[in-house]
Amino acid sequence: MITEKSRLKSLGNQLFFTGPTIIFFALAVLIPFAYGLYLTLTDMTSPINPIKFSGFGNYKTAFMDTAFWESMWLTVEFVVATVLIINILGFILAFLVTSGVRMQNFFRTSLFTPNLIGGLILGYIWQFIFVQTLPSIGDKLGIEWLRLGWLGDEHLAFWAIVIVTIWQSAGYMMIIFVAGLINVPKDVMEASTIDGANAWQRLRNVTLPLMVPSFVVTVFLTLKNAFMVYDVNYSLTAGGPYGSTTMVSMHVVQKAFSENIYGVGQAEAIMLFVIVAVITGLQVYFSKKMEVAA
Amino acid sequence: MKKTLALFLVFLMAVSLTACGGSNESGSSASGSPEAGSKDGKVSIIITNGKGEIATQWEQAAKDFMAANPDIEVEAISQAVGDTVNLLDKLTASGKTVTMAMMAPDSIVNKYKDFGVDLSGEKWNADTVYGVKDASGKVAGFPFSIEGFGLVYNKSVVEKATGGTFDPYSINTRDKLKALFDKIQASGVKYPVAYQTENWSVANHYSTQFLNQAEDPSTIVEQLKAGTFDLASNPVWNGYYDTMDLLASPQYNKYGERPLGKYYDDAHLSVGKGESAILFNGNWAFDSLKAVSGESFGFIPVPVDNNPDNPLNNKIAAGPTNILVINKAATPAEQDAAKKFLNWIVYDQKGQDFLVNQAQIVSAFKNNPNKVTNPLGAAIAEAVQAGKTLPFSSNYVKVEDWGNILAPDIQKYIAKKESRTDLAKVIENYFKTQK
Repeated sequence: MITEKSRLKSLGNQLFFTGPTIIFFALAVLIPFAYGLYLTLTDMTSPINPIKFSGFGNYKTAFMDTAFWESMWLTVEFVVATVLIINILGFILAFLVTSGVRMQNFFRTSLFTPNLIGGLILGYIWQFIFVQTLPSIGDKLGIEWLRLGWLGDEHLAFWAIVIVTIWQSAGYMMIIFVAGLINVPKDVMEASTIDGANAWQRLRNVTLPLMVPSFVVTVFLTLKNAFMVYDVNYSLTAGGPYGSTTMVSMHVVQKAFSENIYGVGQAEAIMLFVIVAVITGLQVYFSKKMEVAA
Repeated sequence: MKKTLALFLVFLMAVSLTACGGSNESGSSASGSPEAGSKDGKVSIIITNGKGEIATQWEQAAKDFMAANPDIEVEAISQAVGDTVNLLDKLTASGKTVTMAMMAPDSIVNKYKDFGVDLSGEKWNADTVYGVKDASGKVAGFPFSIEGFGLVYNKSVVEKATGGTFDPYSINTRDKLKALFDKIQASGVKYPVAYQTENWSVANHYSTQFLNQAEDPSTIVEQLKAGTFDLASNPVWNGYYDTMDLLASPQYNKYGERPLGKYYDDAHLSVGKGESAILFNGNWAFDSLKAVSGESFGFIPVPVDNNPDNPLNNKIAAGPTNILVINKAATPAEQDAAKKFLNWIVYDQKGQDFLVNQAQIVSAFKNNPNKVTNPLGAAIAEAVQAGKTLPFSSNYVKVEDWGNILAPDIQKYIAKKESRTDLAKVIENYFKTQK
């Protein structure tokens, strides 16, 4: 039987443990989010000027902003490319470094290292590679497609961002896959071997189904990261050439902080949030259903 | 349990919202009350600096100023280099009243048009022609720095090619510039030009130069807004793009085959090392050039046509690029303290030393005896003294819009993906939306 007193006590207990987290979560996420929502309903070019209420006008402008939808579409292409390649590559790498090759711990560490470098620095390092290193290699060896800097061509610049993102994240996803692979029970594998399954059948019918929880996590992380990409985009191409690689986050930042249309920029940010929340929510919901028990 | 948690969260959000509204109100009312800025009889002011590279000098200046004025307390805040969020916006949003802010000159007619107090009665107006006027025609901006842009050249490379001392003002037609490129090429430099295509460079700086064909560039801006100025048939507008074609051509430009790309660092390295000779940029380029060697540099005016008597071919665009504006919302005592700081920069020996020797800024004031050591800054200072300057044309447009909205089209033009007539239309249409 739960008395009034014990209920209060348990609430107190709960607040004691979760309260500090809730406070900081609210300070860093909830309050700015709510304030941001409020700002989308106002007309503000700078905090110097008084805030004017403007209804849903900002959302209307944001919906009609073709540049926003163009950058959104580009981001979707980017999401498809990176999510697919990072997960496939991460899984292959994980498979290789758990297969018992020599120095596999060394490989695990070195493949993970790029993830420890911040996106901005990574972008500047690769900018140097794309602008100076690769062209000079192309020049010396007569490789035509390397001779000119990649960042000046709209398609190559897009793939440059994809390559750097893959290089940054594949190692991280690999670590998650390694944890999943190690946890595949040995007895199940042995049983399937005794049943006569070959390596491909074991991978297809035993390992992969048991790895679904890992995939739920990695696909979620890569999806979210790809939709929110900003730092690599900023430091590698800054949206160029001629604005052709402006991803949606960068477009929002430009609207709000560079063109000083805070309300519209914030409204676009909210729209981006809703889109990403729905897509990742659906992804987690449906892929959870694919999980099986060993 | 979930319900109580949810309720608690809702409550938290409600509290936070009201708290936000409350703090804003108290922020603005505090700035109006007389005792807000004073602490034990002292007036305390906040001054912001948008040039992150002189953050330490800015703080030192505040200290020196306080030593001379013990009744004033100065809080000197600098924007971090590369920070995109405006410092003034940030501080204001956090409830502070910035007494004096540094901003771009176009801001006082655009974004912050209601921000500043009238400074036209200040003494320093007698010592400069660069005071920046607001929309009503009153001086509201203190010219903190003078900067200029043009064709930056590496002296030793150019002098080796021309033989003997080189006078940059001797290049006053496009054909002479082309002849210079040929000479440099003949002297063994494969690509005389390293043309970098950053959005602010090709748009805000290069593409606004045509405004200087009128004595007062804002008259052309007005005509563009009214839709009565035809760019495609304007010889000066076309002339600047003819020169740009020359600068970006595969024949002379290091990046000519693919003119777009992130070439800023590489271009400055090339000209700094002497592998190329010329690039288009302003006096701030010296920071990127000097890291390489002890070479010296100067400015060649950007030629627009082949008439050697055209003033546009003989002058360099230079003008105030950072102005200090005093906040209307500050108390009179705070405003006076800020005005004192401005006078200190102009008339106090230490203030003059801070501006030119320490911060290496070209002073807008005739009475400042100091000279910058940076050769590009010195070239601008000489041009200012010799009267060989045109207005800094980007001060007459909304630089954010040019960098974001128009720059992609100008870059497309450079990459030959858009025709000049289309570019003219894009710019004209942009101005028609600006009322």
